[in-house]
Amino acid sequence: MSADTMIREEVVPVNRQVGLYAYDQVDRTFLRERIDQFRDQVARRVSGELTEDEFKPLRLMNGLYLQLHAYMLRVAVPYGTLASRQVQALARIAREFDRGYGHFTTRQNIQFNWIRLEDTPAALEVLAEADMHAIQTSGNCIRNVTSDEFAGAAADELLDPRVHAEILRQWSTLHPEFTFLPRKFKIAISGSPQDRVAARFHDIGLIARPGPDGRPLFEVFVGGGLGRTPIVGTKLRDDLPEEDLVAYLEAILRVYNEFGRRDNIYKARIKILVQALGAEDFRQRVDTEFSAMDRARYRLEPALVQAIRDRFGVPAFEPEGDAPALLAQARKKDRAFDTWVRTNTHPHRAPGYLSVVVSLKPAGGIPGDATAEQLDLLADLAERFSFGELRVTHLQNVVLGHVRQDRLYEVWQALSVAGLATANIGFITDIVACPGLDYCALANARAIPISQKLSSRFADLELQREIGALRINISGCINACGHHHAAHIGILGVDKRGEEAFQLTLGGSGEEDASIGQILGPAMSEDDTVDAVARLVDFYLVRRDGTERFLDTYRRIGTAAFKDVVYAPA
Amino acid sequence: MVDIRSNRRDAGGRSVITANRLLDGIVVWRMKDGAWCTLISDASLIPNDQVEAILDKVKPEAQSQGVLGVYGVQVQEDEAGRTVPVTARERIRAFGPSVHPEFSPQDFAAENRTRESSHVG
Amino acid sequence: MLLLENGHPVTDRWSYAAEGEALGTGPVIVPLSRLSEGLGRSAGELGVMLPVDESVSVLRGALPRLSLIVITFPVFRDGRAFSQARALREHLHFTREIRASGHVLPDQYEFLVRCGVTTVEVPDNADLPVWERALHQFRVAMQPSVVNEKPTGFGLRRFLPA
Repeated sequence: MSADTMIREEVVPVNRQVGLYAYDQVDRTFLRERIDQFRDQVARRVSGELTEDEFKPLRLMNGLYLQLHAYMLRVAVPYGTLASRQVQALARIAREFDRGYGHFTTRQNIQFNWIRLEDTPAALEVLAEADMHAIQTSGNCIRNVTSDEFAGAAADELLDPRVHAEILRQWSTLHPEFTFLPRKFKIAISGSPQDRVAARFHDIGLIARPGPDGRPLFEVFVGGGLGRTPIVGTKLRDDLPEEDLVAYLEAILRVYNEFGRRDNIYKARIKILVQALGAEDFRQRVDTEFSAMDRARYRLEPALVQAIRDRFGVPAFEPEGDAPALLAQARKKDRAFDTWVRTNTHPHRAPGYLSVVVSLKPAGGIPGDATAEQLDLLADLAERFSFGELRVTHLQNVVLGHVRQDRLYEVWQALSVAGLATANIGFITDIVACPGLDYCALANARAIPISQKLSSRFADLELQREIGALRINISGCINACGHHHAAHIGILGVDKRGEEAFQLTLGGSGEEDASIGQILGPAMSEDDTVDAVARLVDFYLVRRDGTERFLDTYRRIGTAAFKDVVYAPA
Repeated sequence: MVDIRSNRRDAGGRSVITANRLLDGIVVWRMKDGAWCTLISDASLIPNDQVEAILDKVKPEAQSQGVLGVYGVQVQEDEAGRTVPVTARERIRAFGPSVHPEFSPQDFAAENRTRESSHVG
Repeated sequence: MLLLENGHPVTDRWSYAAEGEALGTGPVIVPLSRLSEGLGRSAGELGVMLPVDESVSVLRGALPRLSLIVITFPVFRDGRAFSQARALREHLHFTREIRASGHVLPDQYEFLVRCGVTTVEVPDNADLPVWERALHQFRVAMQPSVVNEKPTGFGLRRFLPA
């Protein structure tokens, strides 16, 4: 029997999981083939047939980094969505291949810090059984396409972008032309005018909306990024039609692959190319390629999109009934619960439902970390309360997308027992921190201890509510995996003659009002930085106008006054 | 692999040679007899004027010894006489992540010794 | 040096022009700098080496007279040659042999073929079974290519040749 006929037996899977693309036999065979390929690559590395230099990009494209203490495996969470059984598979990885925990990242993936190279093919097999992989989570290729943690749930969403995220995931997987790019390539897609994906800080950022005929249109941003040269992206197109989505991105990548710099890794991202050419020249090159290419080959026909959409399960929402009333009652009875509802839920488009944000930022804890036991609990809660679906945010928390309001109390109680109910979403202790020098071979300073000091210092919930929305992000080095440029208060770890020091930036935002944080002054010690943050917060509380956020006060007053707070002699 | 930050070597100082094991990525240190161990306390101390020559000899053998990323780390002795790297980064490599003290190479080695001895007999 | 086509060694009837020497009358591959000299010959098949940082459009005028274009990988990580091969097929409609030379890994073989590359130069001590296996690693690709494989009927997937 030829490969053709074997594969033609594609059947639409019966049990479609809500929020996820359902794999078929072709997808599953693909994962097996990929694992076989990697196993062979490992064998050729061990025998010396492949040098480390040759092996490194190959293992990176299977998510495997060599970090400070061991190999780190970054598992892909496509558009940040997981099924319960997948969360259980992650718990299994943590237990059987690692040291009992995993870390959720700022690109909606999950990382394991203590993996052995020799175990990796076996770990990938465990993941493959749950339709998961680590393909292209690192390397100079197209990385995980990230999306909105409230996709398909948020009241303010115009279009659920996950279908298009899936289409882009497939298109970019083992792409023959774009697997050896000048540098990594990151795409984010949102279907809401509230930009929760930091679209303007990605290599390509897409904002989807319904067009006049109901078919999706996309705003296309290109050349945004953080790191050494933070830049807000340029808008290339305002109304790219759905049918051209893949073709247009193909054209952008062709221009980047041809013209992106290869002589200097710090100047190799597409943002550098866009700045060097200028937006107009860059747009013209893309348009020239777009006009000349065989567009029919890449056209997204409505039937093609629908066939992919049909693979996604859709939640069967129940009528709201007395769910809101029951929730109101529960909130009146339990003050702690009420506090949590106010910070950790998000408005849902279906009456009677809410999205729940599970905080992975307990006071004094490691941001984004979850133990195997916590992962199992989250899998169970997703199964029982949210149609079997869990999301990862790019702020290192997780989301139960569709929880009926009258079941919220039960969810909160279960989370509380497991230390997962800190009522701090969006507040000062909802800190984003990269693993930093404790784990990362690239880092200059540790990010986690300073995060722990800050979250302990500001642990009091009433104080946090008083301070209001305040985004702190911490990066252990200028690669900025902690996205500190996009934070109201950013903290950057630097190396001062072999010792750790920290620099503050203020006024960044990763949302639709995107801005890059301004460096405040010279780097300081860890404790001095924590004290400086406290003084900045005090200053804000004194000077704020009404209920304006820290970010708004900073933008209104300007950087000089804030600088004096930290650096002016007492 | 060139490690710029850890290659600050004083003329009169001493260094140890380090690498990562290929199969599991674990940090290892070179001992006097040329074998690799997991504890920096067992590493051979080398006067800085000899480090480059030893690296030139060791690096080509990395593949056959199952290690990669061989380089030198300057160390000093603390009050207790322990060998301690002079930079923050190398201290963390040597003694484990500060936020997970239970994962230090020292604790891990002790754990494995206990496990081994309980298997005997 | 061995020449691979479809995963197997084949005879190489081409030779590279020797620096400072005449091109002769046989099939010869010239550097770009000697292209006009090659075009000036009255007989013999002509091949040219395309540097990795050149646009394929520099070959537009010579294309009808070229039997072979060599794309180069100064290092395997430099992926510009993939785009060059694809552009030669797609925009210049070049239908004859495209050869990959330089530092390439067998792990890139399928990508090369899918970008329109015909033959690959490998070292004499290349592990040939690995190269052959590389073309049969995957049965389906997740996106179209310039080679225009058969769609599977779902998404943008394509069947890869058995």
